[in-house]
Amino acid sequence: MKKNKLFQYFLLFPVIIYSFLLILIPLIYVLFLSFCKNDSYGGMIYEFTLSNYLTIFDFTYMMILLKSALIALIATLICAFISYPFSIFLMDKSERTRSFLIKLVMIPFLTNSLIRTYGWIVLLRKNGVINSALIGTGIISKPLSLMYNNLGIIIGMVYTLLPFMILPIYSAVSKMDYSLVEAAKDLGASKWKVFKEVILPSTISGLFNGSLMVFIPAIGYFFISDILGGGKVMIIGNLIKNQFLTARNWPFGSAISIFLILITFLLVKLYKKIGGKMDDLGGF
Amino acid sequence: MKKIIILILGIFLFTGCTNNQYKGVVNVLNWSSYIPDDVISDFEKEYNIKVHYGTYSSNEELLAKISSSKEGTYDLIFPSDYMIELMKQRELLEPFQKEKLNNLNNINIRFLKQPYDSNNEYSVPFLLATTTIAVNKDSIKDNITSYQDLLNEKYQNNIVLIDDQRIIIGAALQGLGYDINDTNKEHLEEAYNFLMKLKKNVKAFDSDSPKTFLITKEVDIGLIWNAESILAKEENDNIEIIYPEDGYVLSMDNYAIVKGSKNKENAYLLIDYLLRDDICERIIKEYPYISTNKHVGNLSDEEVSVILKNGSYIKNIGEHISDYDKLWARIK
Repeated sequence: MKKNKLFQYFLLFPVIIYSFLLILIPLIYVLFLSFCKNDSYGGMIYEFTLSNYLTIFDFTYMMILLKSALIALIATLICAFISYPFSIFLMDKSERTRSFLIKLVMIPFLTNSLIRTYGWIVLLRKNGVINSALIGTGIISKPLSLMYNNLGIIIGMVYTLLPFMILPIYSAVSKMDYSLVEAAKDLGASKWKVFKEVILPSTISGLFNGSLMVFIPAIGYFFISDILGGGKVMIIGNLIKNQFLTARNWPFGSAISIFLILITFLLVKLYKKIGGKMDDLGGF
Repeated sequence: MKKIIILILGIFLFTGCTNNQYKGVVNVLNWSSYIPDDVISDFEKEYNIKVHYGTYSSNEELLAKISSSKEGTYDLIFPSDYMIELMKQRELLEPFQKEKLNNLNNINIRFLKQPYDSNNEYSVPFLLATTTIAVNKDSIKDNITSYQDLLNEKYQNNIVLIDDQRIIIGAALQGLGYDINDTNKEHLEEAYNFLMKLKKNVKAFDSDSPKTFLITKEVDIGLIWNAESILAKEENDNIEIIYPEDGYVLSMDNYAIVKGSKNKENAYLLIDYLLRDDICERIIKEYPYISTNKHVGNLSDEEVSVILKNGSYIKNIGEHISDYDKLWARIK
């Protein structure tokens, strides 16, 4: 028995080393940096300062935070609107159909998200597939601006992050007792009422879980705003990237990162408060 | 089963150690698309020296790599003008031994003795990049000569800009008649207003491949690197390449030897090889920047002097970079 336990630890060893070296230590380093001063050549002066955190509350940076949050919020809402009907549609389907359709949701994961984002350019640009098709069939006469604006960013975010919303909502919906839905229907509830009174309350943790998993990356996915937004809109992710690459202000970049982590913690706290379980955040 | 896995791992482990047929190595860090791969592999064959080739995509990344790695990790690097100055100050470079090069005379002397290294003590120029305005004459008939011209309301959503704060804010400063490295707060505020006007005409900021926007006719005007303009022109002959009359960015990339280099001799052999006329020709063909080789390219000496005279180098502006960064965040 004891030997067995030792063997378990032995197997866990790589994971422990991994999280220690590649997650914990860098995080501590980032936290440490965020309190340092910057020497403008990209070097650090190891003196304690809070000024990096105070700079975040500057109007310019607050606006960026607000803009990122707004874009992320819209993307999250759209994801939720797509995921619920899909999950409810799957409720009374056979096991085979369900697993087949869920696999279809997962398949895009097999390709790098950067490459998939580039793929959208071909579809969305001025003389891309969508515009050519619409003009060809005479539906529109002038090409639509589908990308290099906020719309492009939101399309990209929704597309990339949709599975993170579908999976938790689907898992919550499929766990719920279908007889409740049938009972509500038998008692004469409209479809909207069934959703509002029965499905939504019992799957709210899935919704919140999915929202966290969509909202948080959406604030930071700078490559989507770079590629599909044409680099015209700066979200928090771009701001952090710039601090490390062009502005050479690592301490400020670290401070924004820590600030983002704090926001994440806050959201998770909120999630627990409204009754979500931590287990649901980890695995589905 | 376990034995098989160990065997396979073992094979992987040992395949890494077969560099023995080379008589030496040289560790190079270069910009990601500057020298064609076959030029490097031809050098390996000709000189029997293995080139360990790493890449970076900004001077800051290069600085981070050099200052965070052990002395002797890298031999040859290609920093731009202001980075040479900074690395010199930080004592990251070896004095350059020009006497070890046989082909140094191939360099047009007009490119030597640039302000960032006025006696070429630490560097020798390799390629010159400049910003240019590229205009698709198929759809734009106006005569564009300056940055002010780009503010015309007709060009709404029709311009692509390099996604670089120093270059774009610098262009706005030059458009207003100020120095490209100006740090005066009022001048920067004027530049902000200039750029907010310009932004209405901007379709996208892109540093990776802005030429694509011109080639696919997504936009008709681009403020982009000269090589990008030339490559766009190769696709569409009606693209006109303009050096803005109010000035533009010069960016000179240089050969430099890293302090503590262990393979200096091989590094000089590689530089000498890269200075050869035929090699410069091959590099320029693929990446059409301005070669410093006087036998390559079709610019006359006068044209080179004019380009160098009217352009400006981006300089290190110290802590003022945070003003630029904030301005950039406000614009976006």
